[in-house]
Amino acid sequence: MRKLLLTAALASLAMTGLARAEDSLFAQIGGEAKLRATVDSLVEVMMEDERINFTFAQTDLTKFKGLLYDQICELTGGPCKYRGRDMATAHKNIDSTNQMFNALAEDLYIAFERQGVPYRLQNKVIALLAPMEKDIVK
Amino acid sequence: MRKQLACTIATAMLLPASGHAGGFLGADGGKLPLTAGFSDVEGTGGGGLVPWALITGYGSNKSWGANAHYGDVRLRDFDLRTAGIGVGILDRVELSAARQEFEATETALEGVEVAQDVFGIKVRLAGDAVYTQDSWLPQIAVGAQLKRHGGIENAGALVSPIQLGARDEDGADYYLSGTKVFLAESLLVNVTLRHSKANQLGLLGFGGDEESSARTRVEATVGYLLTRKLAIGGEYRDKPDTLGVDDESAAWDFFVAWAPTRHLSVVAAYVNLGGVLSPVTGVDHDQTGSYLSFQFGF
Repeated sequence: MRKLLLTAALASLAMTGLARAEDSLFAQIGGEAKLRATVDSLVEVMMEDERINFTFAQTDLTKFKGLLYDQICELTGGPCKYRGRDMATAHKNIDSTNQMFNALAEDLYIAFERQGVPYRLQNKVIALLAPMEKDIVK
Repeated sequence: MRKQLACTIATAMLLPASGHAGGFLGADGGKLPLTAGFSDVEGTGGGGLVPWALITGYGSNKSWGANAHYGDVRLRDFDLRTAGIGVGILDRVELSAARQEFEATETALEGVEVAQDVFGIKVRLAGDAVYTQDSWLPQIAVGAQLKRHGGIENAGALVSPIQLGARDEDGADYYLSGTKVFLAESLLVNVTLRHSKANQLGLLGFGGDEESSARTRVEATVGYLLTRKLAIGGEYRDKPDTLGVDDESAAWDFFVAWAPTRHLSVVAAYVNLGGVLSPVTGVDHDQTGSYLSFQFGF
């Protein structure tokens, strides 16, 4: 009986652990409110960043925020669908460099910091975005 | 030594460092903080004891970067100082030059000094340590460290490591490094294979009475990224043991690395270099102590 109770306790513990592990990254970083606030912060930071702000001079920033939100939301397992152009097409006419790609990544880190998202979660999001380098940078 | 260090730092600071220039002539500071690595005890871009596959400096693949560094390993009975410069070109090639000065501060050898110059070249062969998060492929680089002995001083008739049983005064280490940042885990992992017969990094020459040829040995670094600018970790470096008068063994350290800006990084570590000349000094303890390294650059 004692053994059975122990097993049951362990099983419920394991299930709690599993449930937590199954929480999407989207949920872990704080869901829609936190991600929208982060995207807003990012746009503020990147428009102050002389390494990249000139590439957004003609950009409709409201539309950009919506697309970026959808993209990160979908990548992190949130309930969204990115319907914008693929990254290669979207950057076809922009002379992007690794320096610019890294600058945007750095600005996203700063935006997450401003929103109080823990660094290890920031890294998990950046890890999902990093492979896009090959489509964005020529 | 002091004069040489001041000179190398002055040279690095005088070089043009324009943060946002697009062309190759402008250093673009294009990498993320921490991803330029540090300068190891041999002047190569890496951790403290182990070279990494990362190319030194903050220049991206269309630019360049450079730095000057000073490091001090204070052991129980010895002190090892390294000063030098490094240049990274197109995030592809790294060139470095460093001078090491090794001094006995305790035991019967107190006052004895040994010097060595290390010239390094490293070429990135494949991969990117940071971008390819969707693959296991690390950044891979090969490198060489050409070492020229600077003589032994304050040891009477003993002026060369040959007199201690070494086969050669000068020599070279060759290495293959794989470095990967596992971003989702906030981990940096590096494995290096070094082909070497250097005694105590080459300060006691190359090859010896107990073993004359080079062998390939393993070195490794594991770092955990605490913040965008701060990491902690450990390193391990197996070393040759070819001299009868020495009891050289593997070295390891635990480090804290901090890059507050793209112009300064600091590494502090607890280090154990293993045995150093114990049959001569008569001490029976490992050479443990502190490691402190500063890198200035762009």
